[in-house]
Amino acid sequence: MQSTEFFFGVRDMVLEEWVNAIFNTYPFQTTGFLRTSKDPFANPVADMTREAASTVYEAVSGWDKKPSEVRQAIDRFIHLRAVQDFLPSQAMLVFYLLKPILRKHVMPAMQKAGKLKDYLDAESRLDTIVLLGFDMYTKSREVVAQNRINEIKNQHAQLVRWAQRVGGAPQLDEGQS
Amino acid sequence: MAKLPTPQELVANRPAFPAEAWLETKPKFVPGSYCYPAKKETMEALHMPHPHEWDPAADDWQLPENWEKILCDAFEDRLKKHRSLKLFMDICVRCGACADKCQFFLGTNDPKNMPVLRAELLRSLYRRDYSMLGKILGKKIGARSWDYQTVKELFFYAYQCTECRRCSLFCPYGIDTAEITAIVRELLHEVGLGLHWIMDPVKNCSYTGNHLGIKPHSYVEIVEMLADDCEDIVGVRPKTPFNERGHEILFICPSGDVFADPGIYTFMGYLILFNELDLDYTLSTYASEGGNFGSFVSFNMAKKLNAKMYEEAQRLGCKWILGGECGHMWRVINQYMDTYNGPTPSNMTTPVSPYTGTVFKNAASTKMVHIAEFEADLIRHNKLKLDPSRNDDLICTWHDSCNPARGMGLLDEPRYVLKHVVNHFYEMPENTIREQTFCCGAGSGLNTEEIMELRMRSGMPRGNALRYVQQKYGVNRMACCCAIDRATLPPLADYWAPGVTISGLTELVANALVCKGEHKRTVNLRQEDLPHLDEEEPEGNEGE
Repeated sequence: MQSTEFFFGVRDMVLEEWVNAIFNTYPFQTTGFLRTSKDPFANPVADMTREAASTVYEAVSGWDKKPSEVRQAIDRFIHLRAVQDFLPSQAMLVFYLLKPILRKHVMPAMQKAGKLKDYLDAESRLDTIVLLGFDMYTKSREVVAQNRINEIKNQHAQLVRWAQRVGGAPQLDEGQS
Repeated sequence: MAKLPTPQELVANRPAFPAEAWLETKPKFVPGSYCYPAKKETMEALHMPHPHEWDPAADDWQLPENWEKILCDAFEDRLKKHRSLKLFMDICVRCGACADKCQFFLGTNDPKNMPVLRAELLRSLYRRDYSMLGKILGKKIGARSWDYQTVKELFFYAYQCTECRRCSLFCPYGIDTAEITAIVRELLHEVGLGLHWIMDPVKNCSYTGNHLGIKPHSYVEIVEMLADDCEDIVGVRPKTPFNERGHEILFICPSGDVFADPGIYTFMGYLILFNELDLDYTLSTYASEGGNFGSFVSFNMAKKLNAKMYEEAQRLGCKWILGGECGHMWRVINQYMDTYNGPTPSNMTTPVSPYTGTVFKNAASTKMVHIAEFEADLIRHNKLKLDPSRNDDLICTWHDSCNPARGMGLLDEPRYVLKHVVNHFYEMPENTIREQTFCCGAGSGLNTEEIMELRMRSGMPRGNALRYVQQKYGVNRMACCCAIDRATLPPLADYWAPGVTISGLTELVANALVCKGEHKRTVNLRQEDLPHLDEEEPEGNEGE
């Protein structure tokens, strides 16, 4: 039996437990709503979470996934966590919530079959994904900061241009008629 | 040995069952979660009640000593004045239909951002004083007393609502949570609590007519500068009539279109279009603002700021007003203007398009026509020569700005125009457009940079839908007809769908508009190269 088969036998169960563990990071009254609707636009948080969880699980299991595919799958999810009301650690640790679930449902069987090393490799792949995600998290925060700066500039863009024109600002107005 | 926490322990930011009921769980004021407060001198200049310095993050908000009485009296006053408010307080059955319709709830997942619960913050106070059961049973049926924390809570959530009215669309009773938010904001102003981002534009509008407080001569010079740009691009310098008497039409648009990127391209679009039509119109330096931040403060303030439109139409002797691409301006016009400032001056008449003869009966009472209606009518009657291929580098989608869409039902006209000026148009998913459109997440005076993070999560449902069409159809431009959208959607798109740019409708119209006497156009209004430049021109209309 190949290593990936150990993961795929329990895929739905593990994913459900993991996704619920992620939903549990939100306020209690909200958790129920996140579980209900599957519409990607009426319930975007749940959709983003499921999309990320499913691809991450496949990548961890050892399916052939390029970093770009994983990045794309977790992109919306990371963007979301990066602006929600979480500490950076709380935003990112949801990936690690998968580990205890895997140790409960997958590790014992693999250990029994003498494939503990393969299991540990899978956990290491999760570590790598978290690092990929951390890059994206940081980038997201930088975009937010940059957007604040851009917004301040844009609000007065025409005023500045006008002031440069009438106030004898030092720049050369090349090409202006 | 020190024990490091596990990931589970790190995330345990809430117990499995909260120790306190929702009414007892209070918001935390941390930077990024609230907007900066209005300055004392701004509030003084506007004669607002109890102007004072205060800090939302501080324990003491320096409220007046008798704040509870002030708030109770003000609430009673509003209940007497607005029958709708009393109805909204009594009628909710807490069915939850609105709960998951708010973009703030979807983005923050904070239960108090469910419209029902946001309204319940006020309703719980109402219940104590105005319902028999509440008086007797108190907390048991969700009634509570005013206290300092309640005031803070009302402030926190009244400014996490953009008054977009998406929730009211789904309410079987038609409860308009936006009006409840508006009332809560009014009440808070009674004890001197307001936002800098709202009150500063209100003050500027009161003194100079526009949000940035630009004086008339500067306003004119900036418009002249934009007209120069139009000349560079089109080869024809548009007229810029200001404060001229005796024209048929007064044109009023949000000042954001004059001062801020990318709104200026929409303004240049207006100038080019009106010049091509040789429209009998004037701009005004007095009514130099269509937007009305007063509507985010109180009904009285909205009325005061809105009055300049009719005043100016009367002074200049204009028959009707053409309005630019603004959001809340149209909500005010469509829902409140008659009551605020009506009836219209006697010189004004029901708008009739001078080119098509179309009578805008829908504007018979306000005498104000939306530019999208005006343009759609022109296109319908074949009055504009359009070359949509000039916009071929754009794959467009349309964002229904909440106020024109839900506040006045402007759904099909802008789409009609857009489809005639671009060749590539794709709708976002059905439950995110038209009446069900998601707000930009920063309307109603929340478009300030200090809450950028909050805006990114409240705008997430819109960003998510935009990203979907970006990936599916390659959409790279989202058009809209609201100046606040044009300011708030660029950062939202940068965050959720990088690569998508934002523009107004008339910018795209002017790109496609073939003007009389224009030179060979090589760039669009943003001075970017036009597509198909290498190909042969179908017709040479070089020179004069």
